[in-house]
Amino acid sequence: MSSPCSATHELPRMSCHDAAPASAPAPSSDRSGTATRPAALRVLLVGGPNAGKSTLFNALTGARQHTTNAPGTTVELATGTWRTTSAVLDQAVDSTIERAVVDLPGSYSLLARSSDEQVTADALRELAQSSGEPAQPGVVVVVLDATTLARSLYLLAQVAETGVPLVVALTMLDLAATATDSPTAATESGTLAAALDASLGIPVVPVDARNRATGGLRDLARAVDDVAAHPRLVTGIPAHAPSCGCVTAAVREGSLPDLSLELAHAETLFTWVEQVVEQVTTRCALESDVTRPGTSDRLLHRRTFSDRVDAVLLNPWAGIPVFLAVVWLLFELTTRFAAPLQGLIGQVVDGPLASGVTWLLGLLGLGDTWVQGLLVDGLLVGVGTVLTFLPVMAVMFAALGVLEDSGYLARAAFVADRAMRSVGLDGRALLPLIVGFGCNLPALAATRILPHARQRLLTGLLIPLTSCSARLTVYVLLASAFFPAHAGTVIFAMYLVSVFVVLGAGLVLRVVAFRDVRAEPLILVLPPYQRPHLRNLGMSVRMRVGAFATGAGKIIVGTMLVVWVLMALPAAGQHAVGDVPVADSLYGRAASGIAPVLAPAGFGNDHASAALITGFVAKEVVVGSFAQSYAVAEPGGSARQGSLGEELRASFDESSGGHGAAAALAFMVFVLAYTPCVAALAEQRRLFGWRPTASALAAQLAGAWVLAVLVFQVGSRL
Amino acid sequence: MTLPESPLGAELRVTGVRLSVADAFRLSEMGIRTGTVAHVTQHAAFGGRVIAVAGSRYALDAGTAALIDVESVQRHP
Repeated sequence: MSSPCSATHELPRMSCHDAAPASAPAPSSDRSGTATRPAALRVLLVGGPNAGKSTLFNALTGARQHTTNAPGTTVELATGTWRTTSAVLDQAVDSTIERAVVDLPGSYSLLARSSDEQVTADALRELAQSSGEPAQPGVVVVVLDATTLARSLYLLAQVAETGVPLVVALTMLDLAATATDSPTAATESGTLAAALDASLGIPVVPVDARNRATGGLRDLARAVDDVAAHPRLVTGIPAHAPSCGCVTAAVREGSLPDLSLELAHAETLFTWVEQVVEQVTTRCALESDVTRPGTSDRLLHRRTFSDRVDAVLLNPWAGIPVFLAVVWLLFELTTRFAAPLQGLIGQVVDGPLASGVTWLLGLLGLGDTWVQGLLVDGLLVGVGTVLTFLPVMAVMFAALGVLEDSGYLARAAFVADRAMRSVGLDGRALLPLIVGFGCNLPALAATRILPHARQRLLTGLLIPLTSCSARLTVYVLLASAFFPAHAGTVIFAMYLVSVFVVLGAGLVLRVVAFRDVRAEPLILVLPPYQRPHLRNLGMSVRMRVGAFATGAGKIIVGTMLVVWVLMALPAAGQHAVGDVPVADSLYGRAASGIAPVLAPAGFGNDHASAALITGFVAKEVVVGSFAQSYAVAEPGGSARQGSLGEELRASFDESSGGHGAAAALAFMVFVLAYTPCVAALAEQRRLFGWRPTASALAAQLAGAWVLAVLVFQVGSRL
Repeated sequence: MTLPESPLGAELRVTGVRLSVADAFRLSEMGIRTGTVAHVTQHAAFGGRVIAVAGSRYALDAGTAALIDVESVQRHP
């Protein structure tokens, strides 16, 4: 049996600000004889955080979805195509109906307090302004959480005031049915939906998005199409606030409303919500033939399953160790668990794939030419780098998805809140920051768990300062070479320095560029614990990994090609393109040019500057670069490490005027503080855009230089 | 009394919220305002509190909880 809703092809990218393609309700025929609508209906999913909105989005759009940032913002939007066939909708004409669905950021209110909520308010404003135009039809599906009826109805009331066509998707019915202390506890889903339908005057469709076949999705499709053709208004919503332009006007005009006036208006909405809850409760009681006391009187508290779990996970003594254990698990998953997969992909790319391409080029007469160098050492290395990161990203997205879907993520934010408050960040920010000590790339991806865009950006700028495991190889080499008796202490000190640099940078950034990010009162809604749904989790991981591969992947491959070109083009001597000693290449010349800039930090030599340039691509290759430039093999055993160490000591002593140890410390601090790798840079660009990324790059280089100079100048005088 | 002074499991009615106007507004939009009946379900680390309101659970940090005034709800048999 086919699924009632499936996505078979993708519509053009759209954001909440884009006008939808022209649409007409009547179907037309294509060449295959199948009637299709010429354009898609816009469907905006609106709801509170954790209301089941994204799960519904996944069920509606299937595989045909992608993420994009809302125009001019770093707020991520998921867009996709919701396709239903006429058979599903019980229509006589053979037709296919497509709707362009946008999963808007979760909001408690249309009076936005973050850029994410502003995107939702703006999208509704756009739709409200165009709702009278037949060329741009749109319907809002308000995802109403049955377990938090009052809070969801408040948002519904605000959306209703904008005048957009509305349908309600009633979610979390399984949890509501087993709830013990909500106004509609233990009410049958159909009864609750019918009661709401009667009170609101708009279609209310009970939905179980985890069950695509019988979860009410076809009913939702019918309701959406019906409302698009015959819009209905929510009954009982005050048209305008008595004292101001009310939410409708505020949303329509995009203005910041007067808060005191809005408070007065909100009171009328609260009253309306209370009336609806009372009506619904009474209707449900009558329908169930059960005598229920008044809403406010019967809410006797009973401990739920989630309460019992929270008694452990939020316990003052156990909560923090549990949180640290979860973070440790994430750390392990993104390093140890993903490492074998990365190794395997690396072996395939470097081995059979590279050999295959080389063999093919040989057949074409291009073997041992610059073309082979470009394709194998440039393009293939770039593609291989992207591919090797995919397991890490997939593991991170899956782990975060499990934490989020299970309901623990909100608890983690609560537990870690105190630690992050000093830099004005949500407790959730601690999670990606700690993951950053394993690898910065998945840590950047993990910033998506933060609810506000500015917080995501601030955290994303701090993550590159966490000392990832790739930097450890540099610490080990230099600490062993310069401080053989205290190497472990020096390496430990580098991690402490990293923590202080993160905190210091956080405080500086808050003063300089993030004054709007303040330690707000922590008021978190804790969703009930749930079992994560594997299908939705898989779809979410696939969408996010795909976004990384196409977004950051292009930049990584492009940068690798640029590096290859710099190494392949001669700047001195008579060399063929692609067969140039490093010292004579543009790359080598660039290293020599940069060396004097690094002189105040004590490591102004060609070897160090070349290694730092290479380290810009990836920190793992810094040691290899040193080994290559000193013309010794990469350290694999103690004897060889000894020879590389001697070379390092000699050149650092020379460039620092006899203060090699101080120069080595300065070099390690520089490695800690400057750009982690091109992949992290590409991910920053994908998440936050060019301007913040370029600013961060400049700040990282300047900050690393200042810190390194400081360390050397102080260290060389001790 | 304030929320942190309330014992675990106590049934309370919110009598005042001394947060800034904007923060108090958001709290009321989320479902916690003067007159709301709540139960303390968990004491967390660093003085944080979890309260139950109409089936929802809200986590509040110590500072925020201290600015919410409550009174005990007396239930008559």
